[in-house]
Amino acid sequence: MAINATPKILLVDDEEMVLTSIRAFLTLETDYEILTYADAEAALKVAESSLVDVVISDYLMPKMNGIQFLARARQLQPETPRVLLTGHADKQSAIQAINDVSLFQYLEKPWDNQQLLLVINAAIERARLYRDLRDKIAELAAANLNLRDIQARLLRAFF
Amino acid sequence: MNADPHSELEAARRELDQVREQLVNASRMAALGSLLASIIHEINTPVGSILSNNETMLRSVDTVQKALTPVAAESKELARAGRLLEMMRGLAEVDKLACERIASVVRGLKTFARADDARPRAADLHELIGNTLKLVGCEYRRRVNVVTEFGDLPEIECYPQRLSQVLLNILVNAGQAIEGEGTVTVTTALEGGRVRISIADTGHGIPPELMPKLFSGFTTKPMGVGTGLGLSISKQIIDEHGGTIDVDSEAGSGTVFHIRIPVEQAGTERAPQNSERKDPS
Repeated sequence: MAINATPKILLVDDEEMVLTSIRAFLTLETDYEILTYADAEAALKVAESSLVDVVISDYLMPKMNGIQFLARARQLQPETPRVLLTGHADKQSAIQAINDVSLFQYLEKPWDNQQLLLVINAAIERARLYRDLRDKIAELAAANLNLRDIQARLLRAFF
Repeated sequence: MNADPHSELEAARRELDQVREQLVNASRMAALGSLLASIIHEINTPVGSILSNNETMLRSVDTVQKALTPVAAESKELARAGRLLEMMRGLAEVDKLACERIASVVRGLKTFARADDARPRAADLHELIGNTLKLVGCEYRRRVNVVTEFGDLPEIECYPQRLSQVLLNILVNAGQAIEGEGTVTVTTALEGGRVRISIADTGHGIPPELMPKLFSGFTTKPMGVGTGLGLSISKQIIDEHGGTIDVDSEAGSGTVFHIRIPVEQAGTERAPQNSERKDPS
């Protein structure tokens, strides 16, 4: 999957009003591409084929909860930071999420837009740094392989 | 000297009755906590959406106003549009305050819905009292005046949800003891290694004949009155904190409950009731 020039955000919440509000705010404040889904299964289909920079999910949803969704998103894109945005008051869900899906951040509803934006920006930066690092490691590994090949040929030439 | 077997049997039966009532109350509080967690979720989602939209609207109004200001003098319609924008800003600011008030009440409710009371943790007692007073404000309305006289307190180690249940119980009782108008005064002070919370009301007082069995678990109120928690459970919770609860009351002039709790809990491994709650998902 190719890295996007414009940061891409995948937002899942079964409440359309939340999707509309966050999409409107991010459209006003950023030039990010915002993918919003009320259905977690549909969002996973997107994550299968398109690389995203941050995944944000509600907790209480029909079919699967936010932790189950983020766990599956993690399998598809392990390097993408995951954020849980929940109105659920039970701290247990947060602790479970942090442990089960290596959560990047836990936000409570009603959320603060500026805090949400800070979290999204930090998540994008981390995702991109991680991918840069992965690319550099791959380049180094390729260079190393090339060097070994040259070394092997030199040895064959001289001995 | 042998004890009377009938008295022993009677004492055992009373003890069993008390334990049964405590279990019923504990289960009721757990159910209430779960219900509250669901209600909080249902309120926080739309409130979050409204607050977010409100901020987006205010920022959009800013942008449009900046664009309109240089040309507002060019026509009556543009000048009127400028005034309408100013009115929209005023309304949006009122909406923001109203929404923040709802969010503040819901934050107070969270104290009662949290299931993270498995171990004692540091809590601001004045915050717990403030959250509880917000809730009883619905019960008191304009009939009961609340006075707070808070001393300088450190954070205390406690089970915040359970302690809030005790405060709620006593504050609701205090409001119900006042017929017509009156005052409830909440005072806090540090007394050595303990904090004291005193809750005084100007109500009708407790009849002397009820005082000896006030904390014994016997119901002194008709069905539907009070929190259903009972003073016996309140005493049990304060006992679990290694504290004391006592009462001064004079028929006709009012009642004062004094709660004293150590600032630090001696044993953190004490297992409270209701510490487990099913995930509502």
